[in-house]
Amino acid sequence: MEAVKTTSAVNIHTNGNGAEKIKLAYINDKPFEIREGETVLSFVRRSLGNRIPTLCDAPNLEPFGSCRVCSVEVALQPNGTTKTVASCHTPVTANSFIYTDTEKITRLRKNIIELVLTDHPLDCLTCEVNNNCELQTVAAQVGVRTVRYPEGKTHLDRKKDLSHPYMTSDLSKCINCFRCVRACDEVQGEFVLSMAGRGFDSHIIKSFDDNFMNSDCVSCGACAQACPTSAISDVFESKSINVQKKVRTVCTYCGVGCNLEVAVNDDTIKSIQAPYDAEVNKGHTCLKGRFAFSFYNHPERLRTPLIRKNGELQPATWEEAYDFIAGKLTYIKEVYGPDYIAGISSARCTNEENYLMQKFIRVVIGTNNIDSCARVCHSPTALGMQRSFGTGAATNSIDDLNDTDCILVIGANPTDGHPVTGAKFKQFAMKGKTTIVIDPRRTELARYATYHLPLRPGTNVAMLNMMLYYIITEGLEDKQFIETRTEGYEDFKKQILNVSISELEKITGVDRTLVREATVAYAKAKAAMAFHGLGVTEHSYGTYAIMLITDLAMITGNIGRRGVGVNPLRGQNNVQGAADMGCQPHQGAGYFDVTNPEYHKMYENFYGVKLPNHIGYKIPQMYTASLDNKLKALWLMGEDLVQTDPNTNKVMAALKKLDLLVVQELFMTETAKIATVVLPGASFLEKSGTFTNGERRIQRVNKVVEPIEGTKSDGQIVVDIMNRMGYAQPDYEPDTLLQEIAQIVPFFKGVKWNELGDNGKQWPVKEDGTDTKILHTETFKRGKGKFHYFDFMESKEIINNGKEYPYIITTNRELEHYNAGTMTRRTKNVELLTEDVLLINPADAENHFIKEGDMVCVESARGKVDLKARITDEVKPGLLSSTFHFPEIGLNVIGSDEHDSEAMCPEYKVISVNIRKSKGLKKSIPV
Amino acid sequence: MSKNLSYLAGRKGVAKTLFEELGIAATESGTPSVEKMEALRKEFLVGKANVYGTATFYDFLKPENQGKKVYVCNGSACLCAGTQPALKYKLQKHFTEEEIGEMCCLGRCHENSAFHIAGKNYSGKAINSISEIKKNKTVVADKYNIASKGTAVLTQKFAGLEANYQILKDCLKKSVAELQTEIKTSGLRGRGGAGFPMAIKLESCRNTEADQRFIVCNADEGDPGAYSDRYLLEQQPHAVLLGMIIAGYLADASVGVLYIRAEYPESIEVIEKAIRDLHKHKFIGENIFGSGFSFQFKVIKAQGAYICGEETALLSSIEGQRPEVRVRPPYPAQQGLFNLPTVVNNVETLANLPFIMKNEGKAFAAIGTPKSTGTKLISLDGYFNKPGIYEVDMGTPLSVVVNELGGGFRLPVKAMHIGGPLGGLVPVSKINDLTIDFESFSKEGFLLGHASIVCIPEDFPLLLYIEHLFEFTAHESCGKCFPCRLGSTRGKEMLQKARTTDYKIDRALMDDLLETLEIGSLCMLGGGLPLPVKNALQHFEDELNPYFITKV
Repeated sequence: MEAVKTTSAVNIHTNGNGAEKIKLAYINDKPFEIREGETVLSFVRRSLGNRIPTLCDAPNLEPFGSCRVCSVEVALQPNGTTKTVASCHTPVTANSFIYTDTEKITRLRKNIIELVLTDHPLDCLTCEVNNNCELQTVAAQVGVRTVRYPEGKTHLDRKKDLSHPYMTSDLSKCINCFRCVRACDEVQGEFVLSMAGRGFDSHIIKSFDDNFMNSDCVSCGACAQACPTSAISDVFESKSINVQKKVRTVCTYCGVGCNLEVAVNDDTIKSIQAPYDAEVNKGHTCLKGRFAFSFYNHPERLRTPLIRKNGELQPATWEEAYDFIAGKLTYIKEVYGPDYIAGISSARCTNEENYLMQKFIRVVIGTNNIDSCARVCHSPTALGMQRSFGTGAATNSIDDLNDTDCILVIGANPTDGHPVTGAKFKQFAMKGKTTIVIDPRRTELARYATYHLPLRPGTNVAMLNMMLYYIITEGLEDKQFIETRTEGYEDFKKQILNVSISELEKITGVDRTLVREATVAYAKAKAAMAFHGLGVTEHSYGTYAIMLITDLAMITGNIGRRGVGVNPLRGQNNVQGAADMGCQPHQGAGYFDVTNPEYHKMYENFYGVKLPNHIGYKIPQMYTASLDNKLKALWLMGEDLVQTDPNTNKVMAALKKLDLLVVQELFMTETAKIATVVLPGASFLEKSGTFTNGERRIQRVNKVVEPIEGTKSDGQIVVDIMNRMGYAQPDYEPDTLLQEIAQIVPFFKGVKWNELGDNGKQWPVKEDGTDTKILHTETFKRGKGKFHYFDFMESKEIINNGKEYPYIITTNRELEHYNAGTMTRRTKNVELLTEDVLLINPADAENHFIKEGDMVCVESARGKVDLKARITDEVKPGLLSSTFHFPEIGLNVIGSDEHDSEAMCPEYKVISVNIRKSKGLKKSIPV
Repeated sequence: MSKNLSYLAGRKGVAKTLFEELGIAATESGTPSVEKMEALRKEFLVGKANVYGTATFYDFLKPENQGKKVYVCNGSACLCAGTQPALKYKLQKHFTEEEIGEMCCLGRCHENSAFHIAGKNYSGKAINSISEIKKNKTVVADKYNIASKGTAVLTQKFAGLEANYQILKDCLKKSVAELQTEIKTSGLRGRGGAGFPMAIKLESCRNTEADQRFIVCNADEGDPGAYSDRYLLEQQPHAVLLGMIIAGYLADASVGVLYIRAEYPESIEVIEKAIRDLHKHKFIGENIFGSGFSFQFKVIKAQGAYICGEETALLSSIEGQRPEVRVRPPYPAQQGLFNLPTVVNNVETLANLPFIMKNEGKAFAAIGTPKSTGTKLISLDGYFNKPGIYEVDMGTPLSVVVNELGGGFRLPVKAMHIGGPLGGLVPVSKINDLTIDFESFSKEGFLLGHASIVCIPEDFPLLLYIEHLFEFTAHESCGKCFPCRLGSTRGKEMLQKARTTDYKIDRALMDDLLETLEIGSLCMLGGGLPLPVKNALQHFEDELNPYFITKV
């Protein structure tokens, strides 16, 4: 930047119109404009670039002032006496004179580095961070040539820690800058690292001076990325510069949408870091994003199409496979009709691939039998929010956490499920800002929350009704908002005032005073943000609960501005996109109703073919249809129905009954094992496209390596089969596909591949390319926001089975694994979490004579599974919890057929079971 | 420091602190067990590493403290007095080597031979009664001279509870603005060493928006050689407490925290009793004298770390964090204890407030010099004929203190270390050039500091003394900033090597090191160390030169 040109002795200037005062300070006697709240370091950096060396400073950490290398001289008047200050934590003052490189400062920096080198191994040439070491760089910059001190005490004998599958440390290289400690605290909020001892003896420790593996480390890698040397690093040596290229892409492990910077050598992935300039994750990510990439070239990757012959899947060429599939599909379509064919797209795949999949099913096959895995997670969110607001997407952005006074987190365990957002929530909660957690389990966030309402699973509607009741009785409604922006309020109010609080209190099991206090806190916050997860949707009445959450936001006026709103925490990386692209049986690309004659015609005109105008099957209906002989072929794009859908036995029966089951997959999943044809797909690291994260942010996924030999991108596979069936579809290419999508999806109108940049754009994107951070600012998509009231209803699972099976098991996720674990189980994550376990309250465990680690038989009306007990007060008595990351456990065998009354999302969260100590021998699984 | 840890500590406030719990957990064995630390970290929602990191910081919590039964004072005055080797020899007849630990300055500088057993301090001839002391059969109280020359602000006789708190009663009838003016007029400056105007702190704290504010009394008088705060805590407790209540009223703070060093067990006892008396008389608590103003006290016992005398480290210590010095801004008056506005003041500063309130600011300003108003307490060590605590008007000649009040030196002395380990090393030749005030000392290249005086006898090698200063800093450095953490140890190593071998210290390297410490350190521990060393190098060139070499 140019120096501000001035010769005036008066340094407080007015600009042209004399309105605003420009404040100046001088760097090496040249004036520059200063900004409010800047430190001397940030001021100098902004004005002149990185001319001040630093060691303890890091882009995402608070100023700390330990290394003192950033010292400068500051005088308060021209030629005045100077004071030496550390620029990183000294605010810049107007009219001050900053000298960055005086002889005294140069000497100071050199002398500090000389001291540092008295306790640092001088093995730079063989060090993993050679040429990318901040100490090395600063030492070179300040010109240290000798270490004059006689030999003294050192920490050079500290042992390397290689205990952990990912994290490593060699603290003999530690310079005590505290960056790792601060990253663990300020970024991840985990407090695994600290110093111990004092003075020269100060040294970094993990937990009670343990190794990484035995510590409470969550393997997020923030410390390794923050470390300026190789004192803390990872097994992939992510700070080494032995790299040919780095590719920026987007993580596929959840809806947060972290940007990743992938280092590549010889078309092989070496390591991953999180870019600091990523708006979504700002230099942070979790162990899945950072470390769990080695699945991509795992020996078990599928590398050739397989066709079932004589009962066995046998290798085939792509030509054979396509011929086989096209022949079968054409036959079924002609003999039974297109509605005997269905497809399930994947929220793990790109927008472009999802768009192609629904286009294939609708345009080429001619049916609306298209659904996606959004069905089993956030379909009630999309439907409920559409009914209330007109749009089924997050109203705000995660960044709004900086502007909110209160967060309400319902049915979500973000520190495990959405780790980067979870870490932000934890940072928010730790600071004592109002945090309300509604969750049956005492989750990590709940421990730090202001209010935790531990309701019985399946009673969200009752809880939300209590809250809505208190808002009205406490007189906390935003009358103006209700009046001007909503409809249906009076009717709603009448009904809500009729609820019986004592009855609801009994149903939810949560003390009414606590509920009232939490409600008041939410309603009184100037800006309050609601977040929810699958703990709201995966219920019999999930859509209703969603609409009650929208009621909460509307009744308190928490819509349409910064720091408010209703914000689903999307599970899969592109679950938003899969729905946007039309992978649902009732709405096509861009959410237009396929039964509406006007829209139906629009689609027909756009695609130039006749299209069906009746709603197709949702996933659960596909099973029933198959069992009823009404479905003959099913095409799955990367969906493991057998492991992940509830009531496994029924799912298996339905799938086995099909004439054709096509599975696009990376690995031989439980579902692929029973497929007719298996097509080897390419992973997200091997293809380009876009993902839309949970805050409607369309981000570029860039191909990092070539698809492993024998595989194709899922999009190309669909393109191939479309062509094979007579529809001319150009090859998979995100740029051109986005152009097509922009023509039919209104909120993608201005989305262009080349204009998405590093940080993407949040839809709706206008034609001129401007994007949207906040929805419903002036009006709702549907005009006025609509209030709905719903009575609490008990899940049929409880009504039918609750007596015989008095325990409730609710399913959840663990940090280390992603859903079916197809990918994460093929990484070293499996060394960190080796199996699904059963969370059980100490009292329940005692009643059943269950000890920690005992195998427990968990039985429902559908079946039973054996799980290892982990005794914890994270669950209340009567409540159990487990995961289905591991196929050998098969937790979904006990799952029910119940599903959301409106959106048909399965009820994973309420399963009536009984428990007993397993008779079988304790399974021995190595830890 | 961690803002998160401050907030988390704030959840329980001063009612229950992790720091105190660690102290309690260490009572039996000298260090908290892993099981106890695990329970505490769960309760306080912090990491294992935080609890362990904190415990290992403090002399009386760290694992090495396990099994210690007796502690020998290793402060500067006892060092110079040369009493400790004999003391230790005598103790070894009663305790094993492992049972004998060290404490830095028990404030018994007037008679030395100081040691600590089972929560009690002993000095002078007490070692001769060691068998009775061991059996807990006797307590040997120490005695020292107390006198004033000029106005007795701090050393005047206690007028009794009622009379003392009548001052508070009168204050509470006046507006804060009115009283604030008195403080401003008084010109009262902090007595902890930095000399910062008190009125500004109070005002800044009051003007920072918050639901709660704190007054923290820094009673971690760690400067070896200083025991004037100990005097106030033990003999004028109500001046200190009343000062805190008045500060609370002025800063709109409702909680006063006294952070008292573990090396002063008697001070803790006296203060705690005084607070009980105040409760009994309802002079503290809710709605004091019906004024609507409420105030209560909390006493925190420190665990052995000199750095806790630095105000931000002290705040982190109360919070159960590692007492590493924080960067400023934010200043404690804006974001202090639990990230809330906090006034931190030294014992002596606070003890001045009752006088100011009673006699008005003008009366206080009339004492001393225009820039250094009021009086100053001075502690004299055992090399004086009349060791003790003396109160003098600011501006009193140093020679009056040395010759008149102190009665001159008992043995030949070559220099006086004034103002704690980071104060200046004043050669006896300079006695007539100095007056007791901030400006005079600063002008002559010294530091008034806390105004303790430790004498260095003629026969004490200065090289050993400056090595002792480096060693002290190395031992007490919090370890946060690079210059102090590394520089204090490297300096100590060089001096030790020069003292014990034929190694000669490169003078340019020593100068570089001193400059690095002085201008590069984060706080006054590293930043202050060079002053006495430079004084020594300047004034005792001949004695020190043989250990140095000037490379060309």
